[in-house]
Amino acid sequence: MRSKKYENLNLLIYVFPALFVYIAFKMFPAASGLFYSMTNWNGINKTYNFIGLTNFIDLVSDSYFWQSVVFTCKYVAVMLVIANITALGIAVAIESLPRFKGLYRTVYYMPNMISMVIGGYMWRFIFHKVLYYMADNWGWSFLDQSWVGDTRYAFISIIIVAAWGAVGYLMIIYLAALQGVPAALKEASSLDGANAWQSFWNVTFPSILPALSICLFWTLNSAFQVFDVVYSLTGGGPGRATQSVAMNIYEEAFKGNIRYGYATAKSTVLFIIILIITAVQLRVMRKRGDE
Amino acid sequence: MKKMKKVLCLLISACLAFTLAACGTSGSGAPAPTSNTPASANTDVSAPSNEAPVRSAELTIMMSFSSFMEQWETYCRQFEAKVLAEDKIELKINLEMPSSDMYDSILQARMTGSDAPDLYTIHSNNIGVYTEAGNLTNLSGEALAGKIFENVKNTVTVDGNLMAVPIESQAWAVLYNKAMFADAGVTPPNTLDELKEVCAKLKDKGYTPFMLAYQEQWVPQLMTALTLGGKVTGDVPDWLTRMYKGEASYEEMRDIFEVINLIMENGTSRAMEQGAEVGAAEFANGAAAMFVQGTWASNTIMTTNPEMQLGVLPLPVNNNPNCTLVNLSTSTVLGVYPNSTEKDLALKFANYVLDDNDSAALFQSCGFNPLATSHKYEVSSWVADAYKYVEDGRAYQDLILPSSVTDEQGKLMQELYVGSVTPDEIIERLNKVFQDANKLSQ
Repeated sequence: MRSKKYENLNLLIYVFPALFVYIAFKMFPAASGLFYSMTNWNGINKTYNFIGLTNFIDLVSDSYFWQSVVFTCKYVAVMLVIANITALGIAVAIESLPRFKGLYRTVYYMPNMISMVIGGYMWRFIFHKVLYYMADNWGWSFLDQSWVGDTRYAFISIIIVAAWGAVGYLMIIYLAALQGVPAALKEASSLDGANAWQSFWNVTFPSILPALSICLFWTLNSAFQVFDVVYSLTGGGPGRATQSVAMNIYEEAFKGNIRYGYATAKSTVLFIIILIITAVQLRVMRKRGDE
Repeated sequence: MKKMKKVLCLLISACLAFTLAACGTSGSGAPAPTSNTPASANTDVSAPSNEAPVRSAELTIMMSFSSFMEQWETYCRQFEAKVLAEDKIELKINLEMPSSDMYDSILQARMTGSDAPDLYTIHSNNIGVYTEAGNLTNLSGEALAGKIFENVKNTVTVDGNLMAVPIESQAWAVLYNKAMFADAGVTPPNTLDELKEVCAKLKDKGYTPFMLAYQEQWVPQLMTALTLGGKVTGDVPDWLTRMYKGEASYEEMRDIFEVINLIMENGTSRAMEQGAEVGAAEFANGAAAMFVQGTWASNTIMTTNPEMQLGVLPLPVNNNPNCTLVNLSTSTVLGVYPNSTEKDLALKFANYVLDDNDSAALFQSCGFNPLATSHKYEVSSWVADAYKYVEDGRAYQDLILPSSVTDEQGKLMQELYVGSVTPDEIIERLNKVFQDANKLSQ
């Protein structure tokens, strides 16, 4: 009994640094954010008033916020499909290579090591200068589009850059899962006359479902909080055409009317949206896993 | 194995020694003055003090002038030497200059986190908010108050109290290329019809009339600032007062869209791909004859093309010449945090910014306009151009709009350019944002 207690204490000591950081920098701000969402604090004044649910009521008729929610949902949906299919495709391709697996893995993972703000600025240079250079000098007129300034193309540009940044990370998870698929199963399927696609779909894919679940969960979470790519690439523009929820919250808190309280109310709503979608997704994935 | 350990120890020691040596040099070295750095008139920066300092102190100054880092660093070192010589205080100034797009959020976060800098710059439009929050010291009793020109002092005064030191004050409107105008045989227009004629003649000569660089929202916003200022001052002087009372509408300002559309239709292509700096450089290289941009861009323009014949002209809004005016405004100001632990030194620095001996060199090296009696220096020709309009009474004091309205105008101008909103929708949306801001300020 005593040794069990000692063991628990030991574990607690080991996790304490991480737990402390998590509580101090994640849990406490989140909890205090919930409180500030019910105040009219502007982030500068030393005093503020408790205004109950007024911020949440205002939020219902805030068309810019809901416009940003719609944009973010669209972004999440497209990212879920594009990033995961691309990452899985690359992982399968690398896994099937007889040589240079490490080299390709490193090359595809590299964008993940760069801050997305820096990545965004790099891509902005490509969209603003390189593509136009190719259009003007090589006659590739199809590239002569306003990649960042036109509402039709700005979304595509954001997806390209965000997928470029996320695919490497997802690829590593898929690669780990692919390496865990028993070779005997694959051999058995090929002996049974399955072609490459049939072998992948009926043997490999069901075996990597847990990895798919993790990747979908991660993409969903990070995509809902997208900020850096949009900020560095389009700044939410033109106008508010590419404004994500996180950018809308940032502008509410630091620009214009400087409404910290209202911005934290928006953050709370975003948190609830992510919580609900994640819970549903986990339930569906778990159910499928059980089956 | 032992040998390996020894080698590792030696390597680590060498690295540590190198790091410490690097720290030592950076602490003592002041940046070497260049042609761009302010030359101190009386303060000898390098003069060592004969007596030991009584105490040491630290000041944190946060500024939004990252492009003038070198000039302000030098000025801070001069102030440190002055304090050491006069007060026997070994002062260390931490000068922080975050990028301008992140500046406000960083400053607000520090204010909120009880980590306010001793001195900090803000936009003059925010003086009221910061004063109300108790984050600015009243400087009315300081020596600097007597030095600031009266028309500039008004822009940094709240309820009769001087709340900040003005740093950037300017008369600005539209920058134009004098050589292109001369080549096309045109002069600065006074009415909208004349502006249309100027555009046609410039095009006939093969010049693009306007430089468009709308990637950053504050740049297209300058068009609304200028046109609203001109229209309000020349035609509807009580419009802003009525807007704050909720009794007016942007409908009364509909005129502004004609000139804005004219600019957009006669501008360079790929505007959404051009930032302010790139736009200024392209303008300097002859991409267009006019650029709706303030004189603050002159540094980039003249660096890109030192031969550029730069001028300033007021932007016509309609055919009433009384609406064709330049903007007279104070943008960046320096405030002193009231709860600073070194408030006396912070106030001393605020006064030193307008110092009789050293200030002129600083302002001139940064390209700022004179705004105090201590600033006796010759201004650039384009600044003189703009001030000529001020002297002739063809200027208006910058309209103080709610920040949310100013931000919205920038966004809407981008949208107008890409064609996703109409002037009717802009009027409707700006009215709503103004009403919301009024509601919040109550």
